[in-house]
Amino acid sequence: MTETNIIKLRGVEKRYGSFTAATGINLELKEGEFFSLLGPSGCGKTTVLRMIAGFQEPSEGHIEIDGVSMDGVPANKRPTNMVFQSYAIFPHLNVGDNVAYGLRGRVAKPEIEERVAEALEMVELGGLQKRGATELSGGQRQRVALARALIMRPKVLLLDEPLSALDKKLREQMQFEMRNLQQSLGITFVMVTHDQYEAMTMSDRIGVMFQGRLMQVDTPTMLYARPCNREIASFIGEMNILPAAVQNEQAETSMTVDMAAFGKIEIEKNPNVTNRAKNIIVGIRPEQLEISPDKPADYPATLQGTVSNVAFYGENVHYHVKTETFEKPISVSVPNYFHTVDFQRDDKVWLGVQGASVIDLGQDKQ
Amino acid sequence: MSRPSKLTIYAFAYLGFLYLPVLFLPLFSFNSGTIVAFPIKGWTLDWYRKLGEQDALIQALWNSLTVGLIAAVLATSLGLFAARAFVRYRFRGQRASEGLVMLPLVIPGIIVASSMLVLFLFIGLKPSLTSVILGHTFLALPFAVSILKSAFDDFDASLEEASYDLGVGVFETFYRVTLPVVAPGIIASILVTFTVSFDEFVLAFFLSGNQPTLPVYIWGQIRFPAKLPNVLALGSILLLMSVLLLLLAEYFRRRSSSSK
Repeated sequence: MTETNIIKLRGVEKRYGSFTAATGINLELKEGEFFSLLGPSGCGKTTVLRMIAGFQEPSEGHIEIDGVSMDGVPANKRPTNMVFQSYAIFPHLNVGDNVAYGLRGRVAKPEIEERVAEALEMVELGGLQKRGATELSGGQRQRVALARALIMRPKVLLLDEPLSALDKKLREQMQFEMRNLQQSLGITFVMVTHDQYEAMTMSDRIGVMFQGRLMQVDTPTMLYARPCNREIASFIGEMNILPAAVQNEQAETSMTVDMAAFGKIEIEKNPNVTNRAKNIIVGIRPEQLEISPDKPADYPATLQGTVSNVAFYGENVHYHVKTETFEKPISVSVPNYFHTVDFQRDDKVWLGVQGASVIDLGQDKQ
Repeated sequence: MSRPSKLTIYAFAYLGFLYLPVLFLPLFSFNSGTIVAFPIKGWTLDWYRKLGEQDALIQALWNSLTVGLIAAVLATSLGLFAARAFVRYRFRGQRASEGLVMLPLVIPGIIVASSMLVLFLFIGLKPSLTSVILGHTFLALPFAVSILKSAFDDFDASLEEASYDLGVGVFETFYRVTLPVVAPGIIASILVTFTVSFDEFVLAFFLSGNQPTLPVYIWGQIRFPAKLPNVLALGSILLLMSVLLLLLAEYFRRRSSSSK
């Protein structure tokens, strides 16, 4: 994997009349990476993808692909190919003709046949050339759409919610297959999804969008461990968000915060946070909280509460713990493996947390 | 079995009132007497046999087929672009232009016919089959547009985008994706617009000059009682053909909306 930028978006904005679908998008994608645009529906992620594909022109800003400006370049002249959400399989053509579509009239016939066979082999549909488009299952349609795009040998493959039409089991299987395909081909994949798990399991990096803005671009691990604000913290996984007061900010990378009834604790400064203040919010992941019948030793911050709800998920158990200090109950997740002590509703419990598990989320905008 | 309800009786009476007169046409076409009245004198197929001997009638039939085919192709081609625009794009004045295209359905035929005659004479186009073709294209356009609009409603817009995305230009995409996918709608539209033109009388009467279409020729024959049974035989054949064409058109229209 080289470190050249295959796609550059500079100050890209898209307006429809008075509605701004995306604004201030600056993004550089590395060659050969699997990048996901993640966000709730209507956040503008599909608009960004369609601007890269050339179906929509930015109202402002510029897009470069492989060092070439895409200003005024129509979709059919761009080195990108797309897998559509509906897959857009041509209903009047069979599988082979669908896959060969973009090569017809441009490449000699024997070569087309060879490349179609190769592409179908790659998506594990070898020998299905003559199958009719309407006789395909959802998963097969998705594979045909992939083969049809990849046969063009694009510099960038764009995927618009590629797995949303599949059932859960198939979706999980395709996540691994697409990731393997991307790694063996070394092509840059740009995927749009609203499913955080899909984005986390498949991507090298994720860009999270809210209301037309790209809020954070990071690796899945960093996005989970160091989200830059409340919105991302609660969109990616589950997060307990608590108010805190900064006590001592002198150190370069750490500070002491007062988390109300939890007490004082030294935490790391979040490098992704830009708006620092005295009164901030902090986040704690449910699985990083200790829950025990007695006050836990070796935990710098502890708090007593009452179990208000128990939910069994199989691999883990979720407890909601009501405390006197905080309005919302605190969510705690315990792996089933460690599940040696069962808590029931109304049990009195102790919560404990380490400084390393408390995430600095900066000043709250709300 | 329960007794048929009043509503059922009403429905059958209604259908009878509507369609019985039409059935008299084939009935009397087999009558051996020349007077169209009960009682029927005897049964014969002579009127059908004699159809082939009438040159003027054959010529009129040929005129109607030519006009119908050309008008159907013209109306369907124009309707194709209009329907795609109406379904695919949102633009200023869309509803007004949709209304305008549908207008021939509600303007009285006699008004359209006389104003077209005036217009064509003004621009120096003598009454002829050409002017009938133009008039029928205008008249058939709303039928073509509404059939093709439903074909485009079921057409996934990302199919065309997928084609552009695979490096194919606008015109090639239209030819390789749009046309084949809406083909059943196009066939349905051609069949229906052909039928509209083939049956049309008022416009053709005003605009055909000395090249009568079949309905105009039939109108001329009705004045001669001896020719009437012949006309009835011809009318029965046309009735059967029209019904078959419309059934075929409906079959294609349904196929176009079921193939997503």
